[in-house]
Amino acid sequence: MTKVQHRAMAALLVAALILVGLGVYIYRFIVHGGEWATFAVGGTYTSGVMSTGTITDRSGVVLAQADGSSRYYADDWSVRRACYHAVGDYAGNVGTGALRSFAAQLAGYNPITGTYASGGHEVALSLDSQLCVTAQNALNGRSGAVLVSNYKTGEILCMTSNPTTDPADSTLEIADGTYLNRCISAVYTPGSVFKLITTAAALENIPDLASRTYTCTGSIQVGGSIVTCSGTHGSQSFEDALANSCNVAFAQIALELGGDTLEKYADDLGFTSSHKLDSVSTAAGSFFKDADGSPGLAWSGIGQAADLICPYSMLRLVSAVATSGILQEPTMILGERNNQTNLLQSTTANRMKELMSYNVYAHYGTWNFPGLNICAKTGTAEVGDGTSHAWFTGFLDDETHPYAFVVIVENGGGGLETAGTLANTVLQTAVARGL
Amino acid sequence: MESTATLLGTLAMVARFVLPIFALVVLYRCVRSMLSGRADPEIWGYLVTPKGEVSQLRHWECIIGRARSSDVRLNFEDVASVHAVLMRNDKGEWHIHDLSRGGGVLLNGKQLDQTEQIVDGDIIRCGKHMLKFATNTEQHRALQERKREVAGWKINASTTLFFLTLCQLLLMLEFYVSLDEEYRITALLAFFALILVQWLCYLVMRTMDRSGYEPETLAFFLCTLGLCVCATATPEELVRQTILLMAGVALFFLFGWWLRDLNHVKAMRWPLAFLSLALLALNLAAAQEMFGAKNWITVAGFSLQPSELIKVAYIYVGATTLDQMFRSKSILYFIGFSAICVGGLALMGDMGAALVFFATFLVIAFLRSGSIATVLLAVGGAAMAGMLVLSIKPYVARRFATWGHVWEDVNGAGYQQTRALSAAASGGLFGQGAGNGWLKHIVAANTDMVFAMVCEELGLIIAVFAMLSIIALAIFTVKNAARNRSSYYVIAGCAAITMMMVQMALNVFGSLDILPFTGVTFPFVSRGGSSMLSCWMLLAFIKAADTRRGGSFVVKAGAKQKEADAA
Repeated sequence: MTKVQHRAMAALLVAALILVGLGVYIYRFIVHGGEWATFAVGGTYTSGVMSTGTITDRSGVVLAQADGSSRYYADDWSVRRACYHAVGDYAGNVGTGALRSFAAQLAGYNPITGTYASGGHEVALSLDSQLCVTAQNALNGRSGAVLVSNYKTGEILCMTSNPTTDPADSTLEIADGTYLNRCISAVYTPGSVFKLITTAAALENIPDLASRTYTCTGSIQVGGSIVTCSGTHGSQSFEDALANSCNVAFAQIALELGGDTLEKYADDLGFTSSHKLDSVSTAAGSFFKDADGSPGLAWSGIGQAADLICPYSMLRLVSAVATSGILQEPTMILGERNNQTNLLQSTTANRMKELMSYNVYAHYGTWNFPGLNICAKTGTAEVGDGTSHAWFTGFLDDETHPYAFVVIVENGGGGLETAGTLANTVLQTAVARGL
Repeated sequence: MESTATLLGTLAMVARFVLPIFALVVLYRCVRSMLSGRADPEIWGYLVTPKGEVSQLRHWECIIGRARSSDVRLNFEDVASVHAVLMRNDKGEWHIHDLSRGGGVLLNGKQLDQTEQIVDGDIIRCGKHMLKFATNTEQHRALQERKREVAGWKINASTTLFFLTLCQLLLMLEFYVSLDEEYRITALLAFFALILVQWLCYLVMRTMDRSGYEPETLAFFLCTLGLCVCATATPEELVRQTILLMAGVALFFLFGWWLRDLNHVKAMRWPLAFLSLALLALNLAAAQEMFGAKNWITVAGFSLQPSELIKVAYIYVGATTLDQMFRSKSILYFIGFSAICVGGLALMGDMGAALVFFATFLVIAFLRSGSIATVLLAVGGAAMAGMLVLSIKPYVARRFATWGHVWEDVNGAGYQQTRALSAAASGGLFGQGAGNGWLKHIVAANTDMVFAMVCEELGLIIAVFAMLSIIALAIFTVKNAARNRSSYYVIAGCAAITMMMVQMALNVFGSLDILPFTGVTFPFVSRGGSSMLSCWMLLAFIKAADTRRGGSFVVKAGAKQKEADAA
């Protein structure tokens, strides 16, 4: 009997395993319960539609609404298209849309009472739907993305991506890549906007940078290969080299800094990692680190080679430059304040602000941005097929209109001509609307 | 009129929060009563060496041998590791069985012929070693019986049952508000019948001088949840479900009564084995395919799942007393019987039941052989057989492929699990209220996904309590093993509770995507007549292992208990 008595303990092993399994479930319930409970895809609710509340923009314009029986989107066709990626659709096609990411808040879910108290909850986004429409119209059918935020509060004012669609019309043909929110989920070759990262590294690692001069003859020999420039800039200070976006100067700077330093700055400034925009993960970019002294490193220091960045990461950098290096992390929710991140040293940020202001003053032309006190950097990223992505990023140095922005137009040609013009249109609207 | 409806609605809403409190009281009282108190060893006889060294016989079945785990250890070269077994029956008679294979046991100088009765003063000789046998005295036995803790003396079973009744009344209120008018009265009557049955059983127990009622209370708690599931998902079956519940309780009494006498039980083991094999064969030949498994036969309008009844027979056959445990033929027969059962179920496509049987086999095999190697060997063999099944039955393989990836195919392979998770989460801790869920519209919600249904309507707390009830029964059964009369009851009790636990684990974790989705029932809660009947019979095995004084009707009271009490 003593034998059998001891062996009976085996049953307790099964009991222990069950308790472990139960623990696993409770953990998952706490972490994912909200997602599960609000999973409303494909007929979970056999009788009618679960009441998942209302999403509005910052001025109360309804962007999506579901009550017990049906679902609606914004009244205006152009608003539906312009805000499609930010809001998402009830079919769940845009994984990063507010309908998905804020489903739990919309349904009034909490782990204690589940969805018992659900119905009619409202989430107000920080977006301005009219600004999104302006930006989408300015894209004018070209693929690309426009992001505008208030760098003081972190609130995103404009987030639009093209190609887009009208979620209210399920008969439309869907172009490839429509479901991708290019603002946060795509990565692009940065071209010259990457020089902002190289600049941050140079400011902190080359002590006599201010007294240096760089001579540009239109190209430079690096390790048996030729790095070409967009012009012949002659002898120039660092300040002018950035304003000219001189490849020859930045190739030399990149080589002087070395791969490790450049990679460290790309990492530290958040370009190679994914970030959380509220609960949504953004795309991580990558820095192409070649051997020191190699032409590959020279090219990646000027944003070509195999470098890739997400527009959202660039928004974070320019926001931090505008605020002396302390980044107010962006949010999509009106009135929400996320954490602050110390992204740059304040001296570096302030110097970059001067440089970016000088870019516009000396090179881009303030007359292109009437009335805007703008600090910016252009990018014309060659993508290998003879075309280039047009980039324009920066911020307004303006207490009452503290906007940071990133504009990218795919295969759009010159950065200033295409993206700069588009940015001006959007920023003028933002200022006029007093956001 | 309208204000009455509003008032009831408000009360029903509040009831959601009160229900877990009462349920906690029920669970706590049961657990405390079952697990408190020590199970001190008791002495039933003695073996004395010529030098005067005394070994106590602390069980009704004792092994004499060289092995370290022997009840009476003789650590000598000429003694086999398991040399002989002493067994007491409920009349107080002792028998000795020779297990040494070499005729190494002499009783009063004569060669022992397999089994013989022994009496006070007999001399047993194992190898060269003499032992004098002595039984304990009548007074000693009576004293021991009185010292034995009385079931439920600290925690009154009727108070516990009263709290369970409060739970049921709350649920009646909730259903009165949420159900269609058509089914309201039926639901109230069904709950009322349940309350009646549980109190009636209690009274029957009391008239039999039995005060241990915790396992039954927990079973009735689970049945209450089962009735809730039935009322919300298939209210038209409420009457049927209630009748089946009563039939289950009746079987519990009948089967439990049968289990009292170990001699009857042992005599029927092999006939029952053949009967189950016949039933299995009939099932294979004549079953209808329902829900992808060929495991149903319809008799006179009732569909029956023979595998549920074979479960009970399987444990009945698999458990054994000590004298037979060490005969290698006996375990070989059992392995053969198990292989046929598991194989038959796999052939029918009832993978869930096959798994439950297999897990139960492991426990019985371990309890009987004590060899982890044997168990590992069995697991290895089963893994290979499982691979074979996966390769010839692609739909089973698909289930495994879905495991852990249900959210990637929400309208295909992950359809049921994603709905189960979604519904379970939407209930939160307190649930949407009885009758207010939507999961019931999904196929098999009231069987395979019943845990999620309980979570959705009654909340996670109640659902966890349901699992803890089974776990508590498991701890209780293991605790009782310490002073059980026969290894038969220990093995049967452990096997029965393991079967319930494995079923529960497969059911709960399968629907929650923690284990592959196999489709078995949650004991007492899932819809299903055959499973309700088998669960109550399994509970009889657990009751048979309850050795507290006055704990169980399945255990005969000590012969002279009344006299001893008088003295």
